[in-house]
Amino acid sequence: MYRTTIEKVDPAEESEQLRDFEDRIARGEKIEPGDWMPGEYRRQLLRMISQHAHSEIVGMLPEGAWITRAPSLRRKLILLAKVQDEAGHGQYLYHAAETLGASREEMLEALLDGRAKYSSIFNYPTLTWADVGVIGYLVDFAAILNQTMLARCSYGPYARAMVRICAEENFHKKQGQDIVIRLATGTPRQKAMVQDAINRWWWPTLMMFGPHDSDSPNTPILVRWGIKTRTNDELRQTFIDQIVPELHTLGLSLPDPALVYAEATGHWLTGEINWEEFWRVVKGNGPCNRERMEARRTAHADGAWVREALAAYARLQANGK
Amino acid sequence: MSDTQLPRYQVFLQEKPGLPHQDVGSVHAPDPEMALLNARDVFVRRPECAGLWVVPAEAIFSRTRQELEASPEFQPDESMGAGPPSSRAEKETYYVTCKPKPAGTQTLIGEVQAASPVEALKQALEQFSSTPAPFTWWVFPARLVSSSDPAEADSLFDPALDKPFRLSTDFNTLTRMRQIKDSSQ
Repeated sequence: MYRTTIEKVDPAEESEQLRDFEDRIARGEKIEPGDWMPGEYRRQLLRMISQHAHSEIVGMLPEGAWITRAPSLRRKLILLAKVQDEAGHGQYLYHAAETLGASREEMLEALLDGRAKYSSIFNYPTLTWADVGVIGYLVDFAAILNQTMLARCSYGPYARAMVRICAEENFHKKQGQDIVIRLATGTPRQKAMVQDAINRWWWPTLMMFGPHDSDSPNTPILVRWGIKTRTNDELRQTFIDQIVPELHTLGLSLPDPALVYAEATGHWLTGEINWEEFWRVVKGNGPCNRERMEARRTAHADGAWVREALAAYARLQANGK
Repeated sequence: MSDTQLPRYQVFLQEKPGLPHQDVGSVHAPDPEMALLNARDVFVRRPECAGLWVVPAEAIFSRTRQELEASPEFQPDESMGAGPPSSRAEKETYYVTCKPKPAGTQTLIGEVQAASPVEALKQALEQFSSTPAPFTWWVFPARLVSSSDPAEADSLFDPALDKPFRLSTDFNTLTRMRQIKDSSQ
């Protein structure tokens, strides 16, 4: 039902189409499957949406590891519901990418054979129960800021997927914040445990927003075509300015001796992010990259019999009746 | 990897009885029955839902406003089978959805009687056009819609009601943060 072929046209006509396309975005119209779009717009969206989908799928693993060890039945139900949501978000996003002409099978293949990227945050280990709280509170909050922006993006199917996701992510953040509040106001051991989790997740969370604007070659075209409306550094600063005072209120500190409040601008300024670590993890050499990919491949292989059974049943239905 | 991708079904969700069905996305499934179950799992983890439709994606004939302006005398898509062909060429019911606003989503607005997807869309354009013109139109034969059984609505959709913790309103973190802040001052 979706036609996404990009016809070859002469440059004069193309520039007219491009002008119409940019006018529509300026007017706040959404681009829908079937509408004309520049090849580069489609390429950038496919890259972003498929990476985003993969991140939701791989993102189930670090927290999934704590479902069996949740400290109460209520926490276990909440964590199960959250991990289920991540699976659902992956499905919404694969669908959005399909409207651009990618098949779900080829996207999954790219993930399983290691060609596709996903958010580097999920290549860090979850060592204690406090990590589940900190992921919800910090990592999901960082994700919400990015996704709230994308819910206004110019491509209709991506924007609609984001609207659904944002509504559900608020639960993810709040359940995490709830855990962090409990631990931060708990026994000295609980407090030490949550401080340790903050220390380990703080810098990887700041890296989630991506390289500095000056090192982000895709940003100008993404902003021009209304895919992004805010830059990596702007989103990162919004995150820092909101979360730092909250963590201080809870009596928690941040692992950054250079962290300072700039009275003049009203912003919290951090020390420099370790970009070497960022690129090392992106390129596949983080603490858990291999473990995550192995878990995905095993899950896919273990599910083969279900897919075969479904196909056999569908064949019987088609032939038998 | 030797997987075969399963067919894609577009999913339409009705939030409450009496409200129109709206497009929410798609699922892959070997048959309509599994498509409905997958759609429930993917799109109804929370209230509100009163009913689901699944429609084979290739049966949906779609045109955007831009496409209609570019070629008002549209032709059927070559790739589009409209499901099992209706060789009788008799008129049948087609559902019509459109997206009237720049943002927003495909929403059911009515039905027409037509012998082909092209005829259905032509009729829809005559009967349901508004000013400004909708941004997108979809038509599909009613016979290819698989609908959730209203008698099973309890078992399909009510479990979402028992899990208030799935909603962010179930957590009083704002109040707790305020209390902690006040007590430390």
